[in-house]
Amino acid sequence: MDAKLRASLRRENQIKMLSVLAILVGCGVILFAVNNLLVSFILAFVTNYLLSPIVDFLERKRVPRQTAILIPFIATACLITFGVYKVVPLLNQQMELLASQLPKYQADLMNLVSGTEQRFKVFFKLYNVNFSQAINDWIVAKTQILSSALPSIVSGSLTVLILTPFFAYFMLQDGRRLTRTLMSLVPNSIFEIALDLQHQLNDQMGGFIRARFLEAAIVGVVVWLGLQIAGFPYASLLGLFAGLTNLIPYLGPLIGAVPAILIALISEDGMIASTMSLNLIIITSIYFFAQLVDIVFIIPFVVAKIVNLHPVTVVIVIIIGSQVMGILGMIISIPIASAIKLVFQTFYRHLTEYE
Amino acid sequence: MNYLWDNLFKRSKKDDDVRSILRENILFQDLNDRDLRFVESLVHVRRFHAGEPVFRQGEVGVGMYLIAKGRIEIFVSDPNAPGEENRDIFITQLGSSDFFGELALVEENGRRTASAVARDESTLIGFFKPDLTEVLERNPEAGIKICLRLAEVLGRRLKETTEKVSELRRAIKELREPPPVNP
Repeated sequence: MDAKLRASLRRENQIKMLSVLAILVGCGVILFAVNNLLVSFILAFVTNYLLSPIVDFLERKRVPRQTAILIPFIATACLITFGVYKVVPLLNQQMELLASQLPKYQADLMNLVSGTEQRFKVFFKLYNVNFSQAINDWIVAKTQILSSALPSIVSGSLTVLILTPFFAYFMLQDGRRLTRTLMSLVPNSIFEIALDLQHQLNDQMGGFIRARFLEAAIVGVVVWLGLQIAGFPYASLLGLFAGLTNLIPYLGPLIGAVPAILIALISEDGMIASTMSLNLIIITSIYFFAQLVDIVFIIPFVVAKIVNLHPVTVVIVIIIGSQVMGILGMIISIPIASAIKLVFQTFYRHLTEYE
Repeated sequence: MNYLWDNLFKRSKKDDDVRSILRENILFQDLNDRDLRFVESLVHVRRFHAGEPVFRQGEVGVGMYLIAKGRIEIFVSDPNAPGEENRDIFITQLGSSDFFGELALVEENGRRTASAVARDESTLIGFFKPDLTEVLERNPEAGIKICLRLAEVLGRRLKETTEKVSELRRAIKELREPPPVNP
């Protein structure tokens, strides 16, 4: 290849690469700058990956793609409507019960805290810190923040609720075409690597999201069943909470178990001695069993095959995620880290391991 | 405003070209019009300048190319050859409706065994492993037809290679053992 051609190719490739990067950065800036857009986009992305196997299945059955996309959307809408009529009253009933019991729980919790404080004061007489007052102040401050932020949270949630299915529909309908258009701008010299990488990332991300949701659903159902059998109150609420918090790696299962353990603890008249009560043992066993099912069956067979990260890396990545974007950061940090790892691996393999 | 119309017509002509090139290719010859349209929506049209490499020997290959326009030269590098200018050994020149690199469609992280360079301004239609996977996932009937033809092509190439190896072995044997001299 002569020098003139090499220079002209380099210039053309640079322009193409800059165009691709400019488009990606522009989209990123818009997503971060506009309120609720990033959350809606991430949720639509997740919805896209959850629904795409169903859409592909229907397409295999010779259903036109547009109809194949509409079917799961209509089915989901029907499920939500059914949920509103059937499940929401049940959850509502449990919420009302919880709300009516809340002052009692709050008083019991304060008793538990002050009781524990008294016990610790016996050991640490030197320290004169009023824990119960500090906790009370914290709760009051957080409640005030929540109540002042509530209108914006509600309007934000509504926007997300409308935007998410809208984006998800178009991701399923035109996502591939859009990717191909973007890929057409990639220079010839790195086109094959870019295509390979895009495909692998797509596969990995889809597998990861589906695996995490399967995991969350199984943990939620196991907790709900266990609490229902044990005759514990708010089984559906706690099952739903356990499933949702299970999406947060490592810390999620612990957070998920906190409300049930707290309820079990403060139901026993705020006595610290009751921690060994039968009720608490049953609750802990149920959550432990749910995690056991997760660790023994789901993680080794589903998740570990998709995300190949060392546990220490996972913990560091989650900490970084939580500091950058809070709970959302904790949830999305692992797929982002595994995607970065895949990008490095693919480029390394393509560019260095020549035979 | 005329240029707008011109562009529109050009676009549809180009699309027809891609489909007709696909139809003429052995891999896609069993597909009906609907399946061809589907494959056409997946392939990648790439343009190369004269002298621009399509891929280099040793790189990880992801798929095959069909030549829509132009000529492609295939080279093999011999690192042991004396002098830099002698390292690239010319193998063949391919023209319109020829295809190359199909082995990469079935190999896992397979390396390109030769380099391909555009001889003149060329338009290639790329069909890659992710595209084949997508055909198999979304339209398995078409995918199987393509895979059967691909197996046939690879089988034929293997047969030709085996024949070539046998010929070379015979030639080497003859060189090593000169024919007996009559007394």
